[in-house]
Amino acid sequence: MAVSDAEPMPEIVTEAIVVIDLVESTLTSNLFGWYAVGRQSLRDLRTLIGEVGKVRGLRCVRSTGDGYLLTFFDPQSAEMAAIRAVEAVFELLRRIFARNRQVSEERALNLRCAVHLGEVDVVPNDREGPHISMAFRLEEISRASLPAALNPIPPEQFPLQNYVLCSEEVAGILSRRATHWELASIGLLKLKGFPGWREVFRITSEEHPTDLGSGMRAL
Amino acid sequence: MEAPAPLRKSLALVICDIAGTTGLGAQEGDLVVATVLREFFEQAGRLSTEHHCLIIKFLGDSFLAAFENVANVMPFVLSVQSLLSQNPIFIGRSLGFKFSLHYGDALCIETSYGKDILGKNVNIAARLNDLAGPHEIVVSQVALERMPIDCRVGAGSSETRSVKGVGDVEFCRIPLPGA
Repeated sequence: MAVSDAEPMPEIVTEAIVVIDLVESTLTSNLFGWYAVGRQSLRDLRTLIGEVGKVRGLRCVRSTGDGYLLTFFDPQSAEMAAIRAVEAVFELLRRIFARNRQVSEERALNLRCAVHLGEVDVVPNDREGPHISMAFRLEEISRASLPAALNPIPPEQFPLQNYVLCSEEVAGILSRRATHWELASIGLLKLKGFPGWREVFRITSEEHPTDLGSGMRAL
Repeated sequence: MEAPAPLRKSLALVICDIAGTTGLGAQEGDLVVATVLREFFEQAGRLSTEHHCLIIKFLGDSFLAAFENVANVMPFVLSVQSLLSQNPIFIGRSLGFKFSLHYGDALCIETSYGKDILGKNVNIAARLNDLAGPHEIVVSQVALERMPIDCRVGAGSSETRSVKGVGDVEFCRIPLPGA
C-alpha cells in the first residue's frame, strides 16, 4: 500500500501565513560560530515568537533554517487572523529592538517579514500549498527586486531589514479593518511560479518609524 | 550631474509577457530558458528602436514599452510576435506572447537603475496583461479609439473588468498571427 493511501487527506483551513527570515544568520553563524551565537539567536527568536503569538492565534511554528514559517488562525474570522498576524509581527519587531539594545552587536536580531492569507493544508507541525509558496516569494523580495517591478518605489527607499511586506489580500483586509497601519505599494511584481502581476505592499506603523538603514528605528 | 526632471506624457503603454517559460524550464532546463530570454530581450530591444519606442524596460520574462505615437504599436507588436515563427530560438518551443495596450498619462523618470515609466496607467496595462492569452493583445477602449482603423481589424467585442484602484476598464481582444 502506498504511503499516501494510508494517510487521511489533510485538513484545509484559511490561515494567515507569516514568513520570517533572520537577516544574515548564516554569515553571523560562520563568523561568530553556530554554538557561540547562531543557535542562541534562533532560540531567542523562537521564544519571542511564542510570546507574541500565543494570544494571537499562532498555530504553526516551523523552522526554515534561517527563520520561521508561522501561521495564525482565528475561529471567528479569517480576516481577523491576518490582523492578528500583523499585530504579532510588529510586536515581535518591538521586542527584538528592545533585546538588541541589551545584547552585543553580533547577537542582534534583524528580520525580514512577509504576511499573506490563504487556504493551507494542515499537516503535523507544518503547512503546505501554493499560498505557503506565495508567502515565501513575498519574503524573498528585496531592493534588488525593484528594478524588475512595474511602478516600483525607488530602491533607495526600500529598507534593508526589519520591514513587513504583505500581499494584496492582506493589504485589502488591513485597509478595510485596521486603521493604525499604513500601506504603501512597492510595485507590481511577477512572483516565480505564479501567473500575472502581483501588487506588493509594505506595512508601516506610526509606532515604528522608518529608518532606511535598518528598516525601523529602535524606540 | 543632476537627473533630468520627471516628465509627464501621454503614452501608449505596451506590456508583453512570455507564456510557457516555466514549462520550457521543466522540459529543457534553465540554460535554454536563459538563451530564449536573452534572444527575446535582444530582439525586442532592436525592434523597439526600429518602431520608435520611447522607452523599453525589461522585467524578468516581460517588458514594458512606451510609445508617443499609438500608430507605432501594432507594427511593433506584430514584429515581436513574428519572432515565434521566424526566429530559430523560438521555433518549435511552446511559447506564446501575451500583450496588452493602454493609453494615458505616465511619468517618465530617470532612476538609479535607468529610465522608468510610472503611474496608474502602467498598473492598468499590467492588469490588462493578466487577461491576455498567448498570441493575443488586450487593448483598452481608450487605446483602441486612438489606434489607426487598419490596426483595429479583428478586434473582438467589448468587455469590462474591474481593476483594483481604478474601477471598470473597458477593453477588447485582438488575436495575433499564430493564434
